[in-house]
Amino acid sequence: MVTKRIDHKWGMVVDLDRCTGCQACVVACQAENNLPINDKESFQQARAYEWIRIERYWEGEFPNVKARFIPIMCQHCENAPCEPVCPVYATYHNDEGMNVQVYNRCVGTRYCANNCPYQVRFFNWWEPKWPERLRNQLNPDVTVRSRGIMERCSFCVQRIRRGEITVERRGVEPMTGESIPASDRYLNYQRMKDGNFLPACAQACPTNALKFGEQTDPSGPVYQYFEKANEQYDKAHHGEYIDESKTRVYRLLEEMATKPNVIYLKKVDKYPIGGAAH
Amino acid sequence: MKLSRRHFLAWAGLGALGAVACEGFGIREGELSIQSPVSLPEDLVRGKDNWYASLCRNCPSCEGILVRVMEGRAKKVQGNPLYPTNQGKSHARCEAGVQALYHPDRIPGPMKRGGNRGSGQFDPISWEPEAMSTLTRQLNDRGINAGPGRAVMVTKPMRGHLGLLTRRFAEATGIEHLTFEAVDNNVYRAAVKNVYEQDVLPDFDIENANFILSFGADFLSTWISPTRWNRGYGEFRQGEGRSNAGGRDRGTLYHVDSRFSMTAANADKWIPVRPGWEGYLALSIAQVIVAENLQAPGVDVEALLGGDAGRQMLNSFRPEVAAPLVGITPEIAGGDPAEFIRKLARDFAGHGPSIAIAGGSAGAHSNGLFNVEAASVLNWLVGSVGAQGGVTLNPEGPWNGVPATASASPIDDFERLAQRIRTGDVRMLLLHNADPAHGLPGSLRLRDAIESAQDLYIVSFSPFIDDTSALADLLLPDRVYLEDWGDDIPDPAPGYQTVGFQQPVVNPLWDLDPRSFPDVLLAAADGLGLGDRFPWRNYEAMLKESAEALFEENRGSIEAASADEFWTALLRRGGWWDESATGPANPRPRAGLLRDIAQSASQPAFAGFGGGDTVYLAPFSHNSIQDGELAHLPWLQAAPDPVTSITWQTWIEMNDVTARRFGIRQGDVVRIESSQGSIRAVAFLTPATPPEVVGIPFGGGRRHGSDYATHLSWGDGRPGPESSNVNDILEPTRVAGPGSLAWAGTRVRISPTGESVMLSKMEGTSRAVEVGLSAAEEIIKTIQPGNY
Repeated sequence: MVTKRIDHKWGMVVDLDRCTGCQACVVACQAENNLPINDKESFQQARAYEWIRIERYWEGEFPNVKARFIPIMCQHCENAPCEPVCPVYATYHNDEGMNVQVYNRCVGTRYCANNCPYQVRFFNWWEPKWPERLRNQLNPDVTVRSRGIMERCSFCVQRIRRGEITVERRGVEPMTGESIPASDRYLNYQRMKDGNFLPACAQACPTNALKFGEQTDPSGPVYQYFEKANEQYDKAHHGEYIDESKTRVYRLLEEMATKPNVIYLKKVDKYPIGGAAH
Repeated sequence: MKLSRRHFLAWAGLGALGAVACEGFGIREGELSIQSPVSLPEDLVRGKDNWYASLCRNCPSCEGILVRVMEGRAKKVQGNPLYPTNQGKSHARCEAGVQALYHPDRIPGPMKRGGNRGSGQFDPISWEPEAMSTLTRQLNDRGINAGPGRAVMVTKPMRGHLGLLTRRFAEATGIEHLTFEAVDNNVYRAAVKNVYEQDVLPDFDIENANFILSFGADFLSTWISPTRWNRGYGEFRQGEGRSNAGGRDRGTLYHVDSRFSMTAANADKWIPVRPGWEGYLALSIAQVIVAENLQAPGVDVEALLGGDAGRQMLNSFRPEVAAPLVGITPEIAGGDPAEFIRKLARDFAGHGPSIAIAGGSAGAHSNGLFNVEAASVLNWLVGSVGAQGGVTLNPEGPWNGVPATASASPIDDFERLAQRIRTGDVRMLLLHNADPAHGLPGSLRLRDAIESAQDLYIVSFSPFIDDTSALADLLLPDRVYLEDWGDDIPDPAPGYQTVGFQQPVVNPLWDLDPRSFPDVLLAAADGLGLGDRFPWRNYEAMLKESAEALFEENRGSIEAASADEFWTALLRRGGWWDESATGPANPRPRAGLLRDIAQSASQPAFAGFGGGDTVYLAPFSHNSIQDGELAHLPWLQAAPDPVTSITWQTWIEMNDVTARRFGIRQGDVVRIESSQGSIRAVAFLTPATPPEVVGIPFGGGRRHGSDYATHLSWGDGRPGPESSNVNDILEPTRVAGPGSLAWAGTRVRISPTGESVMLSKMEGTSRAVEVGLSAAEEIIKTIQPGNY
């Protein structure tokens, strides 16, 4: 019997004060999502595939110099600039807070990549190739994208779906394999952790800088930050003053009103260059 | 079609019926609208995936991992949440384990040399009888019958049962066993022995610390146990109760380093010092703590100082004297340098729990042992040793005789090895996952010695061709770790006895015929008539026997009714640990320790070039390929270096000022010359590298093996302009005491070659700095502590 699906609203929080720039998320993502191997030329042509990447920004000059790291992935915007420009509805918004890419609809106009202010969409200029033996590693849950189509971070939708099937449809407790009573079949944070259903980047992140979960699940790690972010967003839209210097929560390129489902927590700077924090 | 009223009503009725029916069946209304095929659960691949607990062997810290296996193929490596050191977290290096497993360049099976030595021509042979009989015959002729030490085995430092088995095999056959790491931690180990009187390495309780002062140790990137300490670092910054008013302060990290490393990039304050002077700064801080009575309650400063002589000696490091020596300028200090050191000492002592971490480049100078000891002794002064949020001393391993710690052989042993190969004294060389031809400094000329040796038989057990095994006569490829049994005693342990177990998660692919190295050793011992000293059927049986011994101790994380049940539980969890078996309680420092360390103070010595036209060379371990051991894994070559974002290439990082001085632009191929030779690397300009220092990563310049490791070479056997081995130009200076290579003790001349290449990096063509016109447009926003 088909059971009623539970509505989710997924979200990610990136704590810049925890991120060390170690690249564990980057490789974890490539391992999970069948990304082509980025060779030297792909970097030189600025065509490397990194659904999540670590950007590094310099501030200051020696000896008062800082490097700051920021992981950037698809922001899964509520008002996504990539969506209305797609002539074939290959990219659209689902009701779980995710921006979704339908590979077999995509005809490769690249309008979405042009319109994305975060530069997180990647076009397959070539057919991806792996040495024969390395193909054994490819994840069977994830489509290998062919030449001519667009791809980007999916919040590891295949893991979330596995979680939903395991917990909410089949009612199996991921850690113990026991049956869950029908009233409790909900993919909460603990079950996501137990069943390896968190996105690969958040799962790997050694400093827990990447947190993922249901925006409305108070047991999860992102709830309080989305509450705060949404409160700020509503205030701003009602013309109320928000003291930016007192809050850590922000969205990337907030002024574009894309309202991402990824929110960032500001880097705490104990000794700002020039003496004042931004 | 014309829509009549009747049709309309019929369609409307059907639609309503459909909606009711679908609701009844439980299909959500939303699913009737346009829905992506990728999000339909029905489209998911069916099949059972299994997650096996095992160990990662890509770095010495050996993280506990879970491997997802589907239809007999390993798909994904993740951290094992139960394993006490990494607690479910992983490094990029762990993830790349599956690429080693399915690597296109694995040695498919046993082979013998076909052409001239080093030609790369190998002919396949069979394990039985040819490969094994050749091995036992050569071991007999060149090892056992030729006399002790005529055969030499070079492996990585090995802990656990592999270490035990290899040691026993070497003892039984009279083989000399050397352990090799291109970037070893022997200086740190010697300092741990002297300062804490411990053989096993201590852990750092970073999670609960409030102030960390790190000297040269890139502990967030490559040093000792970075995944564990990254996990702690996340909590140290923003853990439970860390942030808002009323809770504990956010932890503060100061990093002292002559290079702008990844740890420096994450520090609240980076203190750039003159290379090799870290110890003077540490003792200056100690002097302030002692002079101002800032030590923790209960710390017997008099005993540490060993009387007035010690105090006087320490006074010679007072901030006014030390600051100019260490190179702390008013610009770095933001004011008076001496006052800066005083304030640092007060913060370090007053905002505990504090930890001083030292190693890496601070230990890689002629006076490296002094530097590391001087920094480590600060932990005694502030009462951090054995305290929460401090330095956690570890217990020995749970088994007698099974090594819980392993260090690399001193560099002199390898110099002697090269010499003995040259004279023909060494007749057989056995290699396992060690690449000394690439990792030793060029001045030792080991590669030349091997290439020109007349009567040397080389056996390599490595699963991949590297620069040393390319010279082998016999290749007997080991299984990679995802196909093999094993164990590990983490060093450092997480504060209590811990053992990790490694199990084969998949079988080797049909076209590969590797054989487990420990099983080959056992079979060889049998063939040599030494079977009575090795009473195990195979390596798995050896591990099982030791697991049974653990079961009989009846303690720790696994409760089981029988040994079999215990073994199954052990493999399911990925290990065994006993949180009650902790390190020494109430540790006390040796009397006069601070005095002795102050007495051993010396300046760093730089052999070779000197003078105004030279700069300091700061080599460093690559964030993902480390010392080059993992250079064959494409994900790790393509993982951008955190600070520069460079991939695949070997770069030389230098300050804009330095570049202008030598007429170098970004992307220029630069010639780097020491008295030992020269290499070439691509220039990357930063605003952060100290103007007197250039940095080059270890790990490049591989000449043999996988294309992923070598394809950047010229093709004539020489490393190309985009991949160079910095070991080739290191001066052979030793660290006084442990005798390690002082790899940060080289000065070089740099000059443009006139060539220029495009950098292969994640960053765009122009330097990434914030360019927003207003605060709202900033990518990385910041906030000051106390404001949130």
